[in-house]
Amino acid sequence: MSEFGPTVKAFLHQLILAIFVVIWLIPIYAMVINGLKSEFDVTSTPVFIPPLHPSLTAFAAVWSQLDVPLLNSVIVVIPVSLVATFIGAMAAYYFYLLSVSKRRSLNFMSNTIFSLIALATFMPYQAVIIPLTRIEANWGLLNTYGGAIFAFILFYIPTAALLMSMFMAVLPRDIIDAARIDGSGDLRTFFRIVVPLTIPGIISTLIFNVIEMWNNFFIPLVLFNVAKQTLIPVAVESFTGGYGTLYNESFAAAFLASIIPLLIFIFLGRYFIRGLVTLGTGGKGAV
Amino acid sequence: MVVTVKLSKVTKTFKKGKRNVEVLRGVDLVVERGACMGVLGPSGTGKTTLMRIIAGLEVPSSGEVYFDDKLVSTSNRIIVPPENRNIGMVFQSWALYPNMKAYDNIAFAVKNKGEETRKKIEEIAELLDILHVLDRYPRELSGGQQQRVALARALAKDPSILVLDEPFSNLDARIRDSARALVKKVQKEFGVTALVVSHDPADIFSVADVAGVLLDGNFAQVGSPLELYDSPVSASVARLVGEINELDGVVEGGKLRVLRGVVERRDCQDGNVKVGIRPEDLRVSETEVQGMISLGKVRVKVSSYTGSSFRLVVSPLEEEKVELYVNSDRPMPINSEAVLLAKPEKIKVFKNN
Ligand SMILES: Nc1ncnc2c1ncn2[C@@H]1O[C@H](COP(=O)(O)OP(=O)(O)OP(=O)(O)O)[C@@H](O)[C@H]1O
Ligand SMILES: [Mg+2]
Repeated sequence: MSEFGPTVKAFLHQLILAIFVVIWLIPIYAMVINGLKSEFDVTSTPVFIPPLHPSLTAFAAVWSQLDVPLLNSVIVVIPVSLVATFIGAMAAYYFYLLSVSKRRSLNFMSNTIFSLIALATFMPYQAVIIPLTRIEANWGLLNTYGGAIFAFILFYIPTAALLMSMFMAVLPRDIIDAARIDGSGDLRTFFRIVVPLTIPGIISTLIFNVIEMWNNFFIPLVLFNVAKQTLIPVAVESFTGGYGTLYNESFAAAFLASIIPLLIFIFLGRYFIRGLVTLGTGGKGAV
Repeated sequence: MVVTVKLSKVTKTFKKGKRNVEVLRGVDLVVERGACMGVLGPSGTGKTTLMRIIAGLEVPSSGEVYFDDKLVSTSNRIIVPPENRNIGMVFQSWALYPNMKAYDNIAFAVKNKGEETRKKIEEIAELLDILHVLDRYPRELSGGQQQRVALARALAKDPSILVLDEPFSNLDARIRDSARALVKKVQKEFGVTALVVSHDPADIFSVADVAGVLLDGNFAQVGSPLELYDSPVSASVARLVGEINELDGVVEGGKLRVLRGVVERRDCQDGNVKVGIRPEDLRVSETEVQGMISLGKVRVKVSSYTGSSFRLVVSPLEEEKVELYVNSDRPMPINSEAVLLAKPEKIKVFKNN
């Protein structure tokens, strides 16, 4: 590599970066321009060619049907991802404490519970959705926010705990020990040291949870049976009708549905990278 | 409240896969209230493990740990957890909290956060010369400053014991001396019981009242640093405490024969022995010197300057393979010949093993 000058190298980096950005932007681009086409244009012009006469009719038509599911998704997904990430982080810290514990029984407990959590994460939720639906039906939770929240909490706390465990694993042991020596209890250590030091992990987990929940199709499909009262992925799917598909409306719906995860990624992604940089240099004296 | 630390027959065994590794084997230790004990030992002998057991971060496999008369740890059980032991600890890695400014790092250890605490922290910072960096993050501090912040954090809470694990190992030579002097001064000023761990004897000599040499999981010798230096119980201790020339010798009827020299040694049994002579107890000269005995003629192989004195490497004329380090107040031409002299009372005799 040394035969390349630094400028050439930097240029190559930028080029590769640009190529990836373009690849990732293609779907969004396609969604937007095809959503702006008329019903005739969308089937008669190539996918990547923008419309001659852009119109918002498709977006308007779709919006009237997506507004409630969008709001539902926001109400369910955002608080649940926050709660799941927070509880997941606490659980992960608890496992960390158990795993470094001096008591063999606690060590054993840690391994056992951790295996259970990993199992809960890797088990397809489709496998347990029927008993869950029956429970929720008995409790009168079908078609309610509570029902969706309960299901998501159930399925995504283990995921968050597992993800956070990976970020906890790299916490410098001495720093946690130092906090103990300094007379700090587990809760204080968690809030004052563990959370600040794992912010990148917490935000990554949060983003992951938001996107996973936001795109989860199966759970709302089963737990909601009123067409307009469901969550966004099911509502979007309804545009792919049984009697033919309105492609321009499908594209518009897909775009509206992905705005929120996109925004979250754009805004939190910045903090994510900043957090990563801080941790990378901040650990200098504390290997 | 400053305490006396007492360890009684402490052992520690780690499981490494199927194998058990016995790191500490029945360590007995007393550090009197207000004293500063230095622990010397090669890498991997369990110095950090010993500190962690005292701090309550590690549980002894057997034996007891007392603070004054209070039992704090016993076999496989921690009775007083580390958060209640009131220990000031400087970790080998310093372990500053990267997300907090220096001031908050120090204040984190202090229970009450009033104006009084602020004053106290500033006083300690003043003493340690870090007052002007209190509002910086650890990553914005030099190594020496980080080390002093760690020390300030350990001191700010009025610890019962101060535990310093290789506190100087990450410092460059220039600030190491001042850091040592500082630790000593602070320890005496605060009157706190202290344990300093190091593999560098210079650290121990500059800060400790009492020193112990940890070898193979136990203290091979405990005494004043001078005692360890002048009358080590074994060649390994002698080697750890300072530079030493090791030679083969024979004792016969109260006389020690080493190289071409003969020294009266009534305290030794007959037989082959190891002989240790420190470089400063040797001298090369053309003439006899009062109070020194001759070990025979040597040839100078290397002559170098070491800051304040000259350092020679010499070999006996008839034994080119043997090399000895000798301190000298003047340089010598290479390949010149001279007589090697030694202070007889400083010659150390160890059992052959
Ligand atoms: N948690 C642990 N599990 C298994 N073995 C350990 C553990 N901690 C320490 N050891 C082993 O115990 C021995 C002593 O380690 P320790 O860190 O106490 O040495 P040390 O004297 O402090 O060394 P150094 O001078 O390099 O810091 C080493 O062989 C190490 O591998
Ligand atoms: Mg160590």
